[in-house]
Amino acid sequence: MKPSKATLLLFLLPATAVFVCFALAPILGSLAMSLLNWTQGPRPIPAGLDNYRRVLTDIVFWRAALNNLVILVASLAIQLPIAAALAILLSYPTRCRGLFRTAFFAPMVMPTIAIALLWLYLYAPVDGLATRLCQRLLPGQGQTAVIHWLSATSSSIWLPSPSLAAIFVTICWQYVGFHLVLFMAGIAAIPQDHFEAARLDGASELQIARHVILPSLRPTIAVSATLSIIGSLKYFDLIYLMGGAMAETDREVIATYIYRLAFEQGQGRFGQGSAAAVLLFLAALAIVIPLQRWRLRQSRD
Amino acid sequence: MQRLLRHLLLLLCLLLSAYPLLWMTLASLRTDADVLEHPFAWPSSWQLRSYGDVLAAGGFGSASANLTLLLAAFPLAAAAFLWMADLVQFRLRLWHLPFLLALGGALLAAQRHPALHRALQARPGFANAYLNSLTLCIAAVTAAVMLAALAAFALSRLKFRGSNLLFLTFMLGMMIPVHVTLIPLNLLLGPQLLNLKGSPWALVGPYVAFAIPVSVLILRNAFDAIPADLLDAAQIDGCTPWLIFRHVAIPLAKPALATLVIFNFLTCWNEFAFALTLADSRRPTLPIALHHFKGEQGSLDIPVICAALVISVAPLLIVYACAQRHIIRGLTAGAVKE
Repeated sequence: MKPSKATLLLFLLPATAVFVCFALAPILGSLAMSLLNWTQGPRPIPAGLDNYRRVLTDIVFWRAALNNLVILVASLAIQLPIAAALAILLSYPTRCRGLFRTAFFAPMVMPTIAIALLWLYLYAPVDGLATRLCQRLLPGQGQTAVIHWLSATSSSIWLPSPSLAAIFVTICWQYVGFHLVLFMAGIAAIPQDHFEAARLDGASELQIARHVILPSLRPTIAVSATLSIIGSLKYFDLIYLMGGAMAETDREVIATYIYRLAFEQGQGRFGQGSAAAVLLFLAALAIVIPLQRWRLRQSRD
Repeated sequence: MQRLLRHLLLLLCLLLSAYPLLWMTLASLRTDADVLEHPFAWPSSWQLRSYGDVLAAGGFGSASANLTLLLAAFPLAAAAFLWMADLVQFRLRLWHLPFLLALGGALLAAQRHPALHRALQARPGFANAYLNSLTLCIAAVTAAVMLAALAAFALSRLKFRGSNLLFLTFMLGMMIPVHVTLIPLNLLLGPQLLNLKGSPWALVGPYVAFAIPVSVLILRNAFDAIPADLLDAAQIDGCTPWLIFRHVAIPLAKPALATLVIFNFLTCWNEFAFALTLADSRRPTLPIALHHFKGEQGSLDIPVICAALVISVAPLLIVYACAQRHIIRGLTAGAVKE
């Protein structure tokens, strides 16, 4: 259809206007704000690249980036395999398969603040459930152990804090169900005769999982992996809500670093925060664009 | 044997996954001392005091009045959600109108009630946060889906220059971390420019803007799937693009629209970072109310916090349990429909 100019405007203008106003313009705004100094008095003054210099020489920024990277790798290496394994287990005739799926997916509909509050109790150092469980399992001295799940300090500047692992368990708890559903849909789409052919040839169940299910799941794995990667760059909620007790240099990812610089009490460093935001945006582009291109090529093949 | 082992393994995972929620519910129904002494045990005695405490905080200041407000707000939220997601069919008839007006009026009056207003200045309650979240989500989701439908139809069926570029620009919105925009949005909505900061309405703009990309993607796919013959026939009969959109494309894209309502509604309902930065603690959304409640209570009384958690999560889980197939499809839609 070849529409008139007025029709085209009617269709496109509203969405484009809102999107430009509240998503695109703020990104450009970040760029502008990162070149100004906002802390000296009521009006910002030009600051050149000072903010970038400050961010790039800040150890907290690099530790935050490291944490993002660790979450990314852990999501790919731990969370997705767990989801895939559960999906394969559920792919056999199972009683109440729907119930399992519903239960695993349930945390996805909860607000992250609720998840964080709940897990803060599970991880309480003296009487949290996780500590109590360890006390029961450990003999002797361990029975009165106090475990600082969420306030462990890191032993070297090259390593993230062990508490990040504790938070990652919560992240898994929240998201495994989501990837599980994707994988279950992927497995359900595999033609039954592939399984039958493999069984007739005498393949063991492990071999079937390895040589029939996994190869057919490749498109689904690509989707899950892409979402995990984009998601770990965006990660904010649980780290901000659960990381409060960690050392100031250990507890950030880039998103929380931006937030704390700009909005935590007495900070108001909009320039430095914006500089970090611009860097995050560039990093996201640098990772996401090649990823999408690769996926497009894959789906064409 | 293998079958048994597999079921046991799955049950173990189910336990790991569901136990925290079960524990939370049980903890909200017992005393603090009981929770601390026997955290894993079945409660030795039951009590509802924690719920009374949570309900008495903020809002009208009286537990029963707050409970009434909450009991009015929950079915309303659930009904609005299910109706918008096309899961319950409900045709508006003329005789419904007085009832709806009365209900809406009562809710508005309750929110404007002087006693509530005074109490809210001091401490906002959960019932009130429910209503804030409800109005905010309905407004944002309606706007986002409508705007996205218009744009997606143009991108799918109308020919114009720059169509691909525009689509890619929208897709960019799906890839970028939203936190990049926190600082500039804070300035844009702040007192110098739009002066919306502090009211829940400040969140509508950002929520709509960040709901549009995924909505455009899914709706464009839905419109692409409509047979071209159908649209051509309508065009030959003299339909303008607008009439085709309104009377052919939209009815055929209903499943996609329903999916999007679910996705966007839950994303907005649970959103945290924007709400934390842009909304006022005196007129919070539900997640922010929970955040502040924790801040005020410190970490002293576990049952009370658990009661607050149950109050804010249980309605979601009830709706989820009733419509789980649709909700799971809705939340995974962006990933499955390529």
